[in-house]
Amino acid sequence: MASRPTVTVQGEPSSSLPLPAVLTAPIRLDVVAQVHKSVAKNKRQAYAVSEKAGHQTSAESWGTGRAVARIPRVGGGGTHRSGQAAFGNMCRGGRMFAPTKTWRKWHVKVNQNQRRFATVSALAASALPSLVLARGHRIEQVPEIPLVVPSEVESFKKTKEAVALLKSIDAYPDVVKVSNSRKLRAGKGKMRNRRYRQRRGPLVVYNEDNGIVKAFRNLPGVELANVKRLNLLQLAPGGHLGRFIIWTESAFALLDQVFGTFDSPSAFKKDYILPTAKITNPDVTRLINSTEIQSVVRPAGPKTQKRPWTQKKNPLINKALLFRLNPYAKVLRKQELLRQAQKEKKEKKKGSVAGGAFLTTLFAP
Amino acid sequence: MSNDLEWLLLRKYNSFLVKKASGGPIFSTEPGNLRNLHSHKYSGLANAKTIDIKDSPSGIQVTVNKSKVTPHQVRGARTTSTIRNRSGGRRSLGVVAGLTKKGYRPDLRAAALARTSALITAQKEKKSRPPKKARGKKATA
Repeated sequence: MASRPTVTVQGEPSSSLPLPAVLTAPIRLDVVAQVHKSVAKNKRQAYAVSEKAGHQTSAESWGTGRAVARIPRVGGGGTHRSGQAAFGNMCRGGRMFAPTKTWRKWHVKVNQNQRRFATVSALAASALPSLVLARGHRIEQVPEIPLVVPSEVESFKKTKEAVALLKSIDAYPDVVKVSNSRKLRAGKGKMRNRRYRQRRGPLVVYNEDNGIVKAFRNLPGVELANVKRLNLLQLAPGGHLGRFIIWTESAFALLDQVFGTFDSPSAFKKDYILPTAKITNPDVTRLINSTEIQSVVRPAGPKTQKRPWTQKKNPLINKALLFRLNPYAKVLRKQELLRQAQKEKKEKKKGSVAGGAFLTTLFAP
Repeated sequence: MSNDLEWLLLRKYNSFLVKKASGGPIFSTEPGNLRNLHSHKYSGLANAKTIDIKDSPSGIQVTVNKSKVTPHQVRGARTTSTIRNRSGGRRSLGVVAGLTKKGYRPDLRAAALARTSALITAQKEKKSRPPKKARGKKATA
């Protein structure tokens, strides 16, 4: 077995940590999207229209015979409302179709193992630079993904220190991106405490909060999470894989205990071991070129080309091709041309019946 | 990490996708995509070896992946060489063609050359035209 890959701790060039097993777990986009869709529903608040809405009138149908539709109509006289249709979802002032109820099924249960699978998948995706880039994080200048910072960061108290750290590891462009993306929200959300919308920045994962939360939380887009309470909604916002995560050294070192490895169970989740991938090598080219497969496939035949040199030509139009296919066609054509020439000659010889002078006098007016 | 799997993960959705016309081509704005087309072959993210060609004030920059780096490295995983300004077409194209000749993504040769020559034509200053002479009635008036 090859030596286990390691991750360096930024700012401490001599120290490095082995890559936790979670970060090599199988990545299942479909599982993450599905679980995220369900889990995201669990923070909703119930809403509904008023129970009485559209029904606070004593309207009754006029029945047939009055040459109007049989919809219930407001009785009485003396106001514009009398005689107007009511109740129906198509009526002005009527109730909506299937009025919303507070007892709608707001929450969705997701099996624990599925939730854990999704979390583990999202974590594994966050360790691949290309997936983090594809999510839109500005990590081009970052030295390494996963990005690990020393444990002293957990005792940072001031945002000034946090900014200096992010700048030193070139993670600050991602915060700048968030800051620039801040826009006024479209629609009524503005008046419902969701005034602005902005991108997501880095997620800082710590082991122990000695001030780190207060140091980082005012930076736009930066979120914080304890390594023991990682949340799929933060690891894969919108169900899209590859959140940019900044780990503190102690949090990173704890990952093998929190999620376990492929053969030893987690210390915090009872009897939980990491899911194993269905195939060990998903590299298709490598599989095709492997000796196991190459030894059983038939050897490659001679190369055949459908159109060896040029486009296919129609021999009925292209004479050169016709003569190549049917050499006698050349003889036929030559004879045909000859015959035509002779015919023309004969007709010319025939010419007119009389001389020019004779004809002009004949047809003279 | 397998590039095939990576491509499957970012094929459906990523932040560089540009889908403007329905049914039309899908483009990609990622760095390292020579034709700006959303496909596995040209993808700048889901390939271990990519060629990124872009213009800069100091000349055309050709960025390629280093061969021996860990898959987790980001900044140090690439090297950039700059073709000096006013090098002309023959030298610039030669530099790019030489890269593919050495066996580095020979399948991208045509796309890389096309992008380079497009950048060279874009760099050229437009020739100034002599002012139009007035003709006919306008000339007399």
